[in-house]
Amino acid sequence: MPPTPIYLDHAATTPVRPEVVDAMLPYLGGTFGNPSSGHGFGRAARDGLERARAQVAESLGVAAREVYFTSGGTEGDNLAVLGAAWAAREAGRPMCAVVAATEHKAVLAAAHAVTRQGGQEVLLPVAPDGRLDMAALDAALAGRPSLVSVMWVNNETGVIQPLGAIAERCRTAGILFHSDLVAGFGKLPFSLTEVPLSLATITGHKLGAPKGIGALVVRDGVTLSPQVHGGSQQRGVRPGTENIAGAVALGCAVRLAWQEQARETARVTELRDLLAALLTAAVPDLRITGSTAPRAPHVLNLQVPGCDAQALLMHLDLAGIAASAGSACQTGAAEPSHVLTAMGVPPGLALSAVRLSLGHETTAEEVGRVAEVFPRAVAKVRALGLALSR
Amino acid sequence: MVANPSLPSGRRARVLVAMSGGVDSSVAAAELVARGHEVIGATLKLFCYGDSVPDRPCCSLDSINDARSVCQALGIPHYVLNMEDRFSRDVIANFVAEYSRGRTPIPCVRCNSFTKFRDLLAHADALECDYLATGHYAVAREGRLYRGADPGKDQSYFLWGISRSVLPRLLTPVGGLTKAETRAHARQLGLVTADKPESVEICFVPDDDYVGVLEQHLPADAPALVPGPLVSTRGEVIGEHAGFARYTIGQRKGLPGGAGEPRFVVAIRPATREVVVGSADELLGHRVQLAELNWLADPLAEGDGCLVQLRYRARAVPATVVTVTEDRLDLALAVPVRAIAPGQSGVVFADDGQVLGGGVIA
Repeated sequence: MPPTPIYLDHAATTPVRPEVVDAMLPYLGGTFGNPSSGHGFGRAARDGLERARAQVAESLGVAAREVYFTSGGTEGDNLAVLGAAWAAREAGRPMCAVVAATEHKAVLAAAHAVTRQGGQEVLLPVAPDGRLDMAALDAALAGRPSLVSVMWVNNETGVIQPLGAIAERCRTAGILFHSDLVAGFGKLPFSLTEVPLSLATITGHKLGAPKGIGALVVRDGVTLSPQVHGGSQQRGVRPGTENIAGAVALGCAVRLAWQEQARETARVTELRDLLAALLTAAVPDLRITGSTAPRAPHVLNLQVPGCDAQALLMHLDLAGIAASAGSACQTGAAEPSHVLTAMGVPPGLALSAVRLSLGHETTAEEVGRVAEVFPRAVAKVRALGLALSR
Repeated sequence: MVANPSLPSGRRARVLVAMSGGVDSSVAAAELVARGHEVIGATLKLFCYGDSVPDRPCCSLDSINDARSVCQALGIPHYVLNMEDRFSRDVIANFVAEYSRGRTPIPCVRCNSFTKFRDLLAHADALECDYLATGHYAVAREGRLYRGADPGKDQSYFLWGISRSVLPRLLTPVGGLTKAETRAHARQLGLVTADKPESVEICFVPDDDYVGVLEQHLPADAPALVPGPLVSTRGEVIGEHAGFARYTIGQRKGLPGGAGEPRFVVAIRPATREVVVGSADELLGHRVQLAELNWLADPLAEGDGCLVQLRYRARAVPATVVTVTEDRLDLALAVPVRAIAPGQSGVVFADDGQVLGGGVIA
């Protein structure tokens, strides 16, 4: 029997926590009402929904009325970027989205949609360590964009952006600032009482809640134009009958992450550092992407010179280790990561990059096994590369 | 059916199976799983149409998903291997170059020789696979290659160029089946690909429009694509053509009609951009020279007899070796063959259907 596979792709998605399953189950059973209904069934559902909203709000340091449930990160990012652009247009101002070149595709594609709809997108460069070029931000702010969007933690590299400094500059300039918190939320200490964000996206499935639930924080005074149109649920900003079980799951997962964050951050950081040390000892020319920048504890992006990432991932999978190359892609396209490219990593090295991402379930024993298997897989894939180049 | 290959160590054999997402490779994988092998499915991504061309039955995202579904149903892993760069270099570039030289290439032969049985084999080696399997209708047995059992589907013609050293490690689970049997097998197993339509086009040529592919890869004023003279076999100019790459030896369509006997393309002369038109008789050949030789058995010698097939789906005809060198085989044909086209393959068979080798028609 092959050993139980080791899951090192927590940045792609995480298992649903048992506590979360317990919390949401009643809403998949007897408590099935529509929260907009005035009867007892509806009131019970609304109670669950609003308690979940309060949990999310509390852990983020915002008011419950500022939390809008969405279907996840992609929807939250789109609602923020396009919603702000449309609101600007409706107020007679130009649509312009200023986003970092290393953003998640959800933000990049939404910014591109702004261009297609007659507005403008501006990509901000990053330094070789992945951190935002602040001078470029200042220049872009002078153009009075409808919104600036810079993610907190990069999903591929774990590099942390100086969110406080960026938010402060946007606030001073009077420009809306959105941040995709998807990859970082729950992994590091964070509160919106300290960072003056206008908009923030989170999602459940990176935190032990199921896929299909997330939230967008819209601070008081920020106007967004809805991207889906319907009833008056969630003030019409995000209409549609609410996903109560999902919201309850998100509330529970966020609360768990919030409660456990300090301990988990320390534990996962230690495992990540151990893994990095063991792997770099075994494969000395391994490069850690963004190694000189502050990074979130759960992501280890490795450039493996002479190794095709696609083949390496296949070999790792067959050896019982699930990892990925940056963000998930279903077609196997051999495109170098836009994140690594923006950091100035040459295409050959970018195509060698794999992401190992740790989570709540990761153990020291698993890290030890990965440290044994990974170098063997690297050796085989390097031999393959040599065979193919002959 | 091929015997169950067992390893001296008693270990289960590990097999990498190339899966296009079609029914043949699906059944091949299923058959190998049924024999108890450790099977790994791989779909090669060889090219990208871009956004402008709708999904094709082969090599598209749908095909990748079909292969993945079949593997999931069989309980085996599946991976997508991106080989676009190498396929472009080894197969598409040659396809374009051959048409530019007035020849009619078969990209599937080079895909087998280079992409599947060299590059994919390197992957099989890295994965410590004992065997490489495909859904080809051909039979690999005891280090030899034979025609597939279904005469209507036999694909051995396309496999002459693979390295002889691959044969002992090649498994062809559907080679002994007819297409109907393969489909019946797939239905019985409930495979999602059981009733998938056959792909007969060249995978990277959408809508059979190969000239469109040439136009994409060549400058607009490339000699192969610009007008040139249509001449008779006696040298008279009888008209103009729209680019010699649009013509193939034996072609009748697209030539100016005449009152007399039907006319065919009998030669293409890229140096003068001439397309030569002649009668059906002038299309017959009694000799053929093969280049880029590859042997899958011991090479033939002068005076040896064999069968040679000069087109896919053409009948193999008896032939005698006139001369043979390292890189050239000159065959005298016992019966004249119509429309022998440079660039196509000449495949040499033994009487029992064994593929002895082959080459590209010079």
